[in-house]
Amino acid sequence: MLLVRLAWRNLWRHKRRTLITASAMAIGVALCLWMMALIDGMMLTMREVMVEERMGHVQVVHPDYPGKEVMYDTLDEALLDEVSEVQGLAVAAPRLYGGALVGNEEGSTGARVMGVLPEREAALTGLDADIRVGRMLSAEPAGEVLVGPGLVDELGLEVGERLTFMTQSADGSIGNDAYEIVGVFRSGNAPMEQAGVYLHLAELQELLVLPGQIHELTITGSDPYGELALEAGVQAAIGERPTEGDGAVLVQTWQEASPDTAKMLAMSQSSGIFMLGIVFAVAAVGVLNTMLMSVFERTRELGIAKAVGLKPGGVVLMVLAESFWLGLVSAALGAVLGGALDLYMARYGIDFSASDGEGFDSMGVMFDPVFYGDPQPYQFVLTTVCVLLVALLSSLWPAWRAARLEPVQAMRDQ
Amino acid sequence: MSRALSVPVRVLLAAAIALWSGAGLAAPPTLEELLSATDEVARGTSSKAVIEMHVKTRRYERTMAMEAWSKGEEKSLIRVTAPAKDAGIVTLMVDDNIWNYLPKVDRTMKLPAAMMSGAWMGSHFTNDDLVRASTYEEDFTSRLISGPDLQGLPVTEHYVIESVPRPDAPVVWGKVRITLSGAKIPVSIEYFEEDGSLVRTMAFSEVQEVAGRPTPMVMTLQPADAPEEFTKITYKSLELDVQLDDSMFSLQSLK
Repeated sequence: MLLVRLAWRNLWRHKRRTLITASAMAIGVALCLWMMALIDGMMLTMREVMVEERMGHVQVVHPDYPGKEVMYDTLDEALLDEVSEVQGLAVAAPRLYGGALVGNEEGSTGARVMGVLPEREAALTGLDADIRVGRMLSAEPAGEVLVGPGLVDELGLEVGERLTFMTQSADGSIGNDAYEIVGVFRSGNAPMEQAGVYLHLAELQELLVLPGQIHELTITGSDPYGELALEAGVQAAIGERPTEGDGAVLVQTWQEASPDTAKMLAMSQSSGIFMLGIVFAVAAVGVLNTMLMSVFERTRELGIAKAVGLKPGGVVLMVLAESFWLGLVSAALGAVLGGALDLYMARYGIDFSASDGEGFDSMGVMFDPVFYGDPQPYQFVLTTVCVLLVALLSSLWPAWRAARLEPVQAMRDQ
Repeated sequence: MSRALSVPVRVLLAAAIALWSGAGLAAPPTLEELLSATDEVARGTSSKAVIEMHVKTRRYERTMAMEAWSKGEEKSLIRVTAPAKDAGIVTLMVDDNIWNYLPKVDRTMKLPAAMMSGAWMGSHFTNDDLVRASTYEEDFTSRLISGPDLQGLPVTEHYVIESVPRPDAPVVWGKVRITLSGAKIPVSIEYFEEDGSLVRTMAFSEVQEVAGRPTPMVMTLQPADAPEEFTKITYKSLELDVQLDDSMFSLQSLK
């Protein structure tokens, strides 16, 4: 105990040296913290854009619908009410999908039509915040349509114009109607960006002659990582259902709904960890170097300590204790510095927009060009543990060397 | 000369009239004579027809009534008269283009190229079927397979012709097999995939005299992969060489 206290005092007998060493190490710590917050923030953004804003955490579908998207493989929209009381459920949004020929006087083209409840969709995906021109759909059916930038470009659409729809309805008839364009959206969903339009659910049901039917119930939970519990809750709420034919229902997590997305996120996570490993390794080498130098520098001092009777074991212990204290000081300094960086990152983010400021498209997903950090307590714990470990390990050899010093020779060392 | 072998259609108007050039030939017929029997509208003729289209799929069964007009090979117009929900929808075909007039919204929409393979009016016909112009001599190599009175070929009740598209022809089928009765009236046209599997069969029946010629009044298109499904077209009436103005086949006239 005496040695540990002595070590602490030793540290401050050379204030300047200690502070320079600690600052060098603290910068490494801060960089690691910043990197972790950035990577976690990126992962969170990817999850939000790819999972929550598109698929939700849990999906309810007809088992035959995914992949084939046959319009007749529907669910009863009454499911929406059945799941409303599920524990941990944040938003449940019903969706109906369809294809239609849409056009104006200029021309016509194929479009992917999504029938939604505007308020639910706004709560789930933030569709209302994605409106770039005009406004969101009204909560009640009002003959309105939202169009994406792809169609705007292709057909030269304008807000206020009427867009004509023609499609093959479920009963074989020709569904046709016209809706007023009230807004243009931009969202992270590339297929919708290119050729998507949003209608009120009730209006698409009427157009397609699918009364009371939906293709998908998309659910997000309040815990972004709680999809399994949510899935179980939803399954319990809707009870036993047939697994095939009419009335069949499948409840699945987003990982089950889109294994590709799950794989991609896992890959991103691994590459993030790899990058983090490199940053940590570089920081560790810096700490190692600093520690080695600071012990070698004190050869003479340690020689004197031995001369006045400190045993070899005591020398090792004292050097290690000094390293421990130094590591702790560095970690604290680094946490302050890194914390400040984190705060900035969490608030202002880093702008990756290369030129057009419109975000970038990666694997069918539009990303916002600004990435925000996601500081988490575990990041501070992890960096502190790492810096202490590296500091202790890197001082083992100099400590062992110091323990074997011949006092006389050591004192001559300059 | 003859067209639309790849496709039964313009058939709505045309296949029935097809026999015109072929009927009444002295046997034994040549390949050209037999093929011309499956021709559609002879150049320059016009027609007016009242049609009933019955569609049965796994999901729905419905009957539509239509009126149809054609002039020459390149112009036709079909107006739905029943059921009420679809009544008034007009399909205009000029050359390879299709427009639909939608009375409910009083708009005309041109079908983009990407949607030509889609179903027409919920039937088993594609939009392509309505307008695809495969010129027989240009696009196909045909040969007689068998017939009742063909020199050196197996004797069968019907004449059978197989047509294979030329390598660069814009035809979606791998092979087309045409069967004509001994009286040179079309019995069926079978459409095959590149790999030789049957895709769909068009069958002709209910032969009646129209303007003095035997004409099948019913055409049934049946997809091979869905035996319970079909689209059946019945001519309720058919007039030929009617007086039609070119302006009838214009976007303005759709409304």
